[in-house]
Amino acid sequence: MQTVARPPAPTLLHAAGLWLRGGLLTLAALGLLLVAVVLGIAIGETEISVRTVFEVLANQLAGASYAVDPINQGIVWNYRLTRALVAACCGAGLAISGVILQSLLRNALAEPYLLGISAGASTGAVLVTVAGLGAGAISMTTGAFVGAVCAFALVALLAHAAGRGGLHNSGQIVLAGIAGSQLFNALTSLIITKSGSAEQARGIMFWLLGSLSGVRWPDTLGAATVAVAGTVVCLLHARALDAFTFGSESAAALGVPVRRVQLTLLLAAALMTAVMVSIVGAIGFVGLVIPHAARLLVGVRHRRLIPVSALMGALFLIAADVVSRTLIPGQVLPIGVITALVGAPVFALILLKAPGGRP
Amino acid sequence: MLPRRLAYAALLATALSAHAADYPLQLQNCGHRLQLDRAPASVVTIGQGGTEMLYALGLGDKVVGTALWFNPVLPQFKAINDKVPRLSDNIPSFESVIGKRPALVVSQFEWMVGKDGVVATREQFHDLRIATYAMPTDCEGKNNLVGADGTRTASYDVQTLYKSIRQLAEIFGVPARGAQLVQSLSDRQAQAVAKVQGAQRQQLTAALWFSSADLAADPYMAGKNGVAGYMMQTLGLRNIVSSTEEWPTVGWETVAKANPSVLIIARMDRRRFPADDYQKKLEFLQQDPVTRHMDAVKHQRIVIVDADALQGSIRQVDGMEQIAEAVLQLQGRAK
Repeated sequence: MQTVARPPAPTLLHAAGLWLRGGLLTLAALGLLLVAVVLGIAIGETEISVRTVFEVLANQLAGASYAVDPINQGIVWNYRLTRALVAACCGAGLAISGVILQSLLRNALAEPYLLGISAGASTGAVLVTVAGLGAGAISMTTGAFVGAVCAFALVALLAHAAGRGGLHNSGQIVLAGIAGSQLFNALTSLIITKSGSAEQARGIMFWLLGSLSGVRWPDTLGAATVAVAGTVVCLLHARALDAFTFGSESAAALGVPVRRVQLTLLLAAALMTAVMVSIVGAIGFVGLVIPHAARLLVGVRHRRLIPVSALMGALFLIAADVVSRTLIPGQVLPIGVITALVGAPVFALILLKAPGGRP
Repeated sequence: MLPRRLAYAALLATALSAHAADYPLQLQNCGHRLQLDRAPASVVTIGQGGTEMLYALGLGDKVVGTALWFNPVLPQFKAINDKVPRLSDNIPSFESVIGKRPALVVSQFEWMVGKDGVVATREQFHDLRIATYAMPTDCEGKNNLVGADGTRTASYDVQTLYKSIRQLAEIFGVPARGAQLVQSLSDRQAQAVAKVQGAQRQQLTAALWFSSADLAADPYMAGKNGVAGYMMQTLGLRNIVSSTEEWPTVGWETVAKANPSVLIIARMDRRRFPADDYQKKLEFLQQDPVTRHMDAVKHQRIVIVDADALQGSIRQVDGMEQIAEAVLQLQGRAK
């Protein structure tokens, strides 16, 4: 009896241990994220004490009634918190989009902007601001989103047509993306040259490099919804993504409905990226590099890769935003400059320290 | 004070008119030597500021082409401007300029005609025996090879505007007209300053919001050394923005914490950014959870000024008068 009863016990214990470990890791990750967000709120253009920050948070979240200067209260709650949260959501969204594209296209160089999304977004933004489409009634954000979706649709159609109705060769979508990006970048340059004044071109260039200034609660809600929804969709397809790592034929052989999954995941990545780009501009580097860094840390299985990438992307972008606001006193640098300037050397270090032979 | 100023100006006018017939004329202009054997028979202007300056000097019949327009022409010059071909609303091509065979090219900005000029370098024109004049408003105390819109190494000074006017008048052999225009502009400015100084009981702080790329995004504010910064300073308003850039982006967080006593916002016809509309600016200020707590917003100390008047041009004095008038009213209300 005893010998028969034994085997299940360790398995159960093992499972419980795994759950516990998973739970602890999740808690640790959330804690880390919380610390990052609080740091993101406490550090800014002007000095606001940590005490004030906590008083404001207590007032807003727990209904406390500390007497705080309304300007400080507004800055902490409406400017800085939204900014940190949007940075986190964008970092997570871009990183996951990168994971999806690198897996689906089996291309280590794949990244969210490959699909022409950032080029399309800038064309949309420039059409609204520089060319004056909509005469001030349409916001730059809306223009950017529409542009991004149009560009993606064009790239997807081109890839679809080139692939005779399927995505048999990931090279086709990469090439279609490059063609689409070139086209939309040329359109952007055309519009700027035709009607640009120096001041406007500067505003646009700044935005194109990524800027978190001016994000407010509605943006935060939008970004959070999209980031969470995107993460859930990807987690549901974690197994399929694992299968795609070995190519679409292998995935089909493993019983994955290839066309449907490809379409769902590509759309998810494109929409996530389009929303993020329209809110904060084209922040480079995150979508390309975070998935690789995460892979070096936790391996290639998507069940772990996706949450870890999301977390790393979120932390990275919050940190980059803090640096962008504090590196030069009295001036806010475009966050895209920081992500590349700080991120590239860090990534180089990770690459060098990683055991050889990994993709 | 005023009579002495007048006497001085009259003296200057006679001194200049004595020089009027002195062709060949030589002047130093933005690091180049300009030499003219006679008054130029024709001129192409690049930049609305220079164009309107020539119109104001009564030299509209000499202008054979214009380019780089920011706003509709001043109403009093509409009739004359309608007769002059417009080469381009924006940046003209080199060939379209030389195609007019002008004796002189007047350029408002060095990034148009200058060392890194997008139209051409000055030498390219000189090779074709076309003289060039760059306006001192853009080259004196300013390095146009650094920064997106150039960087001011010293504060803008209205004297560079007066110098542009006098030199252009001299070039065309009408120095008395130049002296007269300078006189009327400087008189108006002196009056505006005197008005505010008479009423001011304490140093007021101010910030000037030009526009923003997106309504809630970091706004373009007037820098310390630019034309708008000079206007504020001359009127006794201390600019809370300390950047030396012409139009730096400054976060609302910084502006709100500095809490200026007066907020100046620009009104313009341009509608590219939502914030170009001054009504949208006002709405934002009153609704944003931070800016609505600023003293200037709470107590409605917001001044609206025409964006055209924030450049080193003959319109600058209009802006000084608008700000002075508004500050005067605010002071009167506070009593």
